[in-house]
Amino acid sequence: MTTKNATEPMVRIEGLRKSFGSLEVLRDINLDVMPGQVVTIIGASGSGKSTLLRCINLLETPDAGHVWFHGSDLAAEHVDVNSLREKIGMVFQGFNLFNNMNVLDNCTLAPVTLKKMGKSEAEQVAMKHLDAVGLADFARASVSNLSGGQKQRVAIARALCMNPDLMLFDEPTSALDPEIVGEVLEVMRGLARDGMTMVVVTHEMQFAKTVSDRVVFMDKGVIAEEGTPAEIFGSPKHPRTREFLARYLED
Amino acid sequence: MSSALSSEQGAARRRGKIASFFLDDHRYVLLGTSAVALVGMLLSSQPRPAMSFLAQAFTVELVMYYLLVAWLVVSAIGLAVKIAKWKTYDEVSPFTKPAVRRVLRYASYVIWAITLVLIVDRVVMGIASAWSVAVAAASQASPKRPDGMLESMCYILYQGRQTFLTGFITTVELAVFGTVIAFFLALLLVFARIQTIDRPDNDFVRFWKKVGVGFAKVYSTVVRGTPMMVQAMVLYYGVFGLFRMTSLTTTQINGIWTTFLAGLVTITLNSTAYMMEVLRGGIESVDAGQLEAARSLGLSQWQAMRKVVFPQGIKYAIPGLSNELVINIKDSSVLSVIGTFDLMFATTTVAGIYYQQFQTALITTVVYLALTMFASWLLGKFAHHFDVKPQPVGSSSDAGVAVGTEEVSAVPVRDGEKHRRGFGQGR
Repeated sequence: MTTKNATEPMVRIEGLRKSFGSLEVLRDINLDVMPGQVVTIIGASGSGKSTLLRCINLLETPDAGHVWFHGSDLAAEHVDVNSLREKIGMVFQGFNLFNNMNVLDNCTLAPVTLKKMGKSEAEQVAMKHLDAVGLADFARASVSNLSGGQKQRVAIARALCMNPDLMLFDEPTSALDPEIVGEVLEVMRGLARDGMTMVVVTHEMQFAKTVSDRVVFMDKGVIAEEGTPAEIFGSPKHPRTREFLARYLED
Repeated sequence: MSSALSSEQGAARRRGKIASFFLDDHRYVLLGTSAVALVGMLLSSQPRPAMSFLAQAFTVELVMYYLLVAWLVVSAIGLAVKIAKWKTYDEVSPFTKPAVRRVLRYASYVIWAITLVLIVDRVVMGIASAWSVAVAAASQASPKRPDGMLESMCYILYQGRQTFLTGFITTVELAVFGTVIAFFLALLLVFARIQTIDRPDNDFVRFWKKVGVGFAKVYSTVVRGTPMMVQAMVLYYGVFGLFRMTSLTTTQINGIWTTFLAGLVTITLNSTAYMMEVLRGGIESVDAGQLEAARSLGLSQWQAMRKVVFPQGIKYAIPGLSNELVINIKDSSVLSVIGTFDLMFATTTVAGIYYQQFQTALITTVVYLALTMFASWLLGKFAHHFDVKPQPVGSSSDAGVAVGTEEVSAVPVRDGEKHRRGFGQGR
């Protein structure tokens, strides 16, 4: 199972269920993510997109079902989540940069702690990624002095420093001004071009349309429809998908 | 100047009439200084102490007195004008003219200076005189306590200085060592308290985490739910009883399990529970996203806590933690119940010798107040160093601990909660 090839999915979600109290957020979700694929998850607020994403690296514990990642079931009891998470980078809506560290330390904390990398080596790697997101000059800056767009780009660089196989994006641009959304999306486009496997929860329909290999539309805790961007945006079949996209096209 | 004036008047219109009268054009100058002048007059009417330097300059004091009176008269006129011309006061009153305002301000400095001189002459010199009288009385062949209140207090302080000093040092030692040791114990305890069952944990780890959390909860409830005075007695006599089971003699036990040691252990264990809750409040007020981000990178719960959450949480906890030192200075006084020779015990000892309960208690009040004020000031500097807003002296806000400690209120409050809320060290 652990052998990796292009025909085997990197992530396989089977029969995933999750409730918060009496509220059923995810109802029997099945989804495969192939290596190198960019999957975007769209849908109205409260449809369970973020919860699904957070189940992939077990920030939310599923009630039932399986989340296979490279052949290991993350949902199993006593599984070593920590070492699996090292291969899954995550970018949050609220950035969540460590406030008690500067930009560079944010990026080097995990590699130094977990990969037993030397400080200088970790800093070299971090500088490479910071440079790629255009923030090499801010390496020594305090996190609180950055703009939202800069923070999010640092957050992406921080995740990349662990050299992950999979990147999860939880509404990465929702907390940003419309003007600076572009700089973050540009970084994400670059990642996609480099062949990174990505699962992106987003409200940026243009991004979903142009960058993703597959689009998943979620509604009320189930995957209502999925397909290529052309299928979903060109000829949506499900009435809820049509309704949802129509509202976006009005803008 | 004119723009400043118009903004003042704008502010006046937004406030109520009474409030604007006190706060705007007359705020410090007429009314505030009138209060100062009254204090000066009151002091001037007091009998001169032996060391008064104004006793040699009677005319000077007379002039000073009439200057104070003159200020009150001017203020009264200002008040009368305001009452008479309530609506048009800003336009018609001579007091609102810039030049007059400036003169009034300078005159007010003179009034302050006069009062200051009178304070030095009457209060400072008064205490000095009383002290010299007391020392003279004490150094006679057969010492006899002088009659006056102040002289009596000075006499008691002078005669009992050795006792007071011993008690003072013990109190400081108890508070400082107790707080510092309690801080480290609280660090350990809070780590036990905030453990949550994590996915990768095996059953062994899960068991010990549950034990740790349970212990911390029970400890906190018991310690915060019982008075420290009772804790001191249970601990002192309990451990004493344990020692009795050995072959040690009572004298030997008293040498090992001293009242100071018992007091220190009590104050440490007591403070640990409170500090743990303060730390927990600080940790819980760190945004949950910080922990999530650290965990998403693959850090274990312990690593995420240690590197990310805890350094931020302790910053929030600093005001509450430093507060604990001030509280311990005051609360060490209950340890006198087991005979710990602290400042309180010294006070009762001295008061017993001279049969002067009130005067002795007053001395102790001043000492405790000076000590807590000094500690507050020092901790304020310390907190500033960490870029944390210190708790203002005189507030009784729960801000330092309020966040994330809902359970605190569910437990019976610490003994003497009321007096804890006293001088700006409320929790």
